[in-house]
Amino acid sequence: MSDKIMNDKGLVVRHDIIELVEHWAIALSGLLLLVTGIFELPMANRYYITSLPGLSWSGDFIKSLYIHYAASVVFVAAAVFHLLYHGILGEKGMIPRSGDLKSSIEVMKSFFGKGEEPPFHKYLPEQRLAYLGMAFIIAMLILSGLVKTYKNLYAPDMSLTLVLWATWTHNAFFMLFILAFVAHIGAILLKPNRPMIRGIFMGTVRLDYARHRHPLWIKEMQGEKANMLTDAESVAKSPAPGGDDVGEQIGKEAPPVVASEEIVGVDQEEIREEEKDKER
Amino acid sequence: MSGDERTGLNRRTFLKVSTGAAAAGAGLAMPGKGFAAGRKRLATLIDLSRCDGCPGKDMPDCVGACKAINRDKIPKIHEPIPEPWPRKTIEDWSKRREVFNRLTPYNYIYVHQAEIDEGGQKRIVFVPRRCMHCDNPACATICPFSANHKYENGAVVIDQELCFGGAKCKTVCPWEIPQRQSGVGIYLHILPTLAGNGVMYKCDLCNDRLETGKLPGCIEACPQQAMSIGDRKEIYALAEERAKAMKGFIYGKKENGGTATLYVSPVSFTALNGTMKKQPGMPDMGPAERRMAKTDKMGKAVLQAPLYGIVAGVAGAFVALSRRKDRVKGGDDRHE
Repeated sequence: MSDKIMNDKGLVVRHDIIELVEHWAIALSGLLLLVTGIFELPMANRYYITSLPGLSWSGDFIKSLYIHYAASVVFVAAAVFHLLYHGILGEKGMIPRSGDLKSSIEVMKSFFGKGEEPPFHKYLPEQRLAYLGMAFIIAMLILSGLVKTYKNLYAPDMSLTLVLWATWTHNAFFMLFILAFVAHIGAILLKPNRPMIRGIFMGTVRLDYARHRHPLWIKEMQGEKANMLTDAESVAKSPAPGGDDVGEQIGKEAPPVVASEEIVGVDQEEIREEEKDKER
Repeated sequence: MSGDERTGLNRRTFLKVSTGAAAAGAGLAMPGKGFAAGRKRLATLIDLSRCDGCPGKDMPDCVGACKAINRDKIPKIHEPIPEPWPRKTIEDWSKRREVFNRLTPYNYIYVHQAEIDEGGQKRIVFVPRRCMHCDNPACATICPFSANHKYENGAVVIDQELCFGGAKCKTVCPWEIPQRQSGVGIYLHILPTLAGNGVMYKCDLCNDRLETGKLPGCIEACPQQAMSIGDRKEIYALAEERAKAMKGFIYGKKENGGTATLYVSPVSFTALNGTMKKQPGMPDMGPAERRMAKTDKMGKAVLQAPLYGIVAGVAGAFVALSRRKDRVKGGDDRHE
C-alpha cells in the first residue's frame, strides 16, 4: 500500500502497482475460468458457441480444461499471494469492521436519494463486506478446484463423498462467483462510485473526490505521515542510510505536518467549503 | 483340463479373492461381502479364443443376461420428451429396447463379428464390446456433476439420479461408449428445454451385484467361460499367460492410459480393428490415446500454484517491509 496525496496533480494514489497487478490477475484469470467453466458444463456445442468465429475450440472439453487449468495457476497463485502479502504487511483496509452492515444499508439508501452518505475510509463499508464475500467464494472455488484437479491427475477413484463435495461446492460457488461479478460491475457503474473506476486502471483517483467522499482515508494518510515522522524522530539516534522517498512525498504534499486532529480540521473545513460551493 | 483351469477365475475363486484369505474357505457362504465391499481392485478378461458368439441363439447369452438384469433400470420416459433449445437433438431408444447389435441406453454389451482373412482362409472372431472401465476414465473425472464415478474396485458407474445427459462422457470416451436416453432424469425437474437432455447409460460392471458377492451378469452367463473377473494383478497375469500360450495379443492394457478390461486374442487387434467401422454405438479397437494426458502437466502446475503464491507473497512482503524500514530511516534523514 503506497497511498499518497499528490496535491500538485490533484490526485490520490489509491492502489500501487502490486495491487493493480493482483486485481487484474484475479479478474482476468477469473473471467477466463468462468467462461471455460461454462464450456465444461457443457454448453458450447448446444448453444452454438462453437460456431462463433475463434471459438470453435469451446466444444473441446480437453482444450477448455487446459485453458481452465492455465488460468487457475494465475488465479490461485494471485489469491494466495494477496492473502500472504497483505497479511504480513498488516494491510487490513478491506476487512469488514463493526457497523459495516448498518452503514452499507445507509449508503445504499443514499444511492436512491434517501439520506446522506456517511464519510468513508478508503473503502466503502459495502466494499469491505463484498470483499469478504468474494474472498470466501474464491477460497471455496480454489479449495474445491484443487481437490478436483488432484482427482483428475492422481485419484479418479477417490471417495465419492469427497468428489461430490468438491464438484457441487465448485458448481455452487461458480454460480455465486457469477452473481458476485455482476454485482461488482453493477456497483462500479453506479454514478457515485464511478470516480473509483480510474483507480483500478490508473492507480489514482481525483483528490477532490477523495476529500469529499473519503475524508477518513485522507485523515488516515495524513495521520500516517505524521506518525512516520514521529517514528523517524524516535530512530534518529541511529545512523540512517540516505533514503529520500518519504522526504519527497512530504515535501510535495501540503499542508505541513502537524498533529493529525489539526489536519482533519483543515480537511473537514475544506469539505464544508466545497459543499458550500456546490450549494451556490 | 478342469473347468477351473479353463476359466481362470470362476465364481468360487472370485469370491475367494474378494473376501480375502480369512474368508477363503467360506466362498459361496459369504454373499454381501464381495469385491466391492473388499475394495479390491478388479479387472476383467475377455478371451476371444473362447467366445463363439453363441450360435443358434436369438442373442449371445452375455447380451441376454445383461438385458435381463437391466430391463427395468430406466424409469418411464416423459412423454412428450421436451425439445432441447437451441440445438434440438433428442435421443430416444425407448421404443427400440430390443436392439442388441450395438450399444444403446437399453443395451450395454453387444458382440461384434469379425471376419478375418488369414492367409486366404476365413476366420470368424467374436468380440464382446462394452465399457472398458478405464484406470483414469475421463468420462468420470470430467463429468461436471460427478454423476459418473470410478469406484475403488475399478467399476466406472453412472448415477442415473444425478446425470443431466449432456453426453460429455461420450465425447471424451475414445470409444464413445455411454449412450443417451432423452426424456428421463433430473433435468426434467430443472430447466428441461435449456439444460440437460436425459441420462447417459452404459455398463456398470454390475457393481450392485459385485457388492453382494455376485458376478457381473455377462460373465456369469457365458457358456464358453470366455470372460473372467478377479484381482487386477491376477487378471493381468492371466492375460499375459494366455496371450503367450496362444501367441496372441492383448488389448486394453495401455489403451486410454490403461483399463480394467483386457482382451486376449489369437488375431491381432489391428486386424480386428480393420473389420470395425466406428459408428454410433459401435466402437472400434484402434490405439486409443488418453487425451486428458495433454492436460496433466498444467494440472500439476495448478496443484503447485499455492506454493508459487506463498513464495511470491512472503518474498514480496519482505521486500516491502525492508523498503518501509528504509523509508522511515530516510524520512528521519530528511527530517534532520
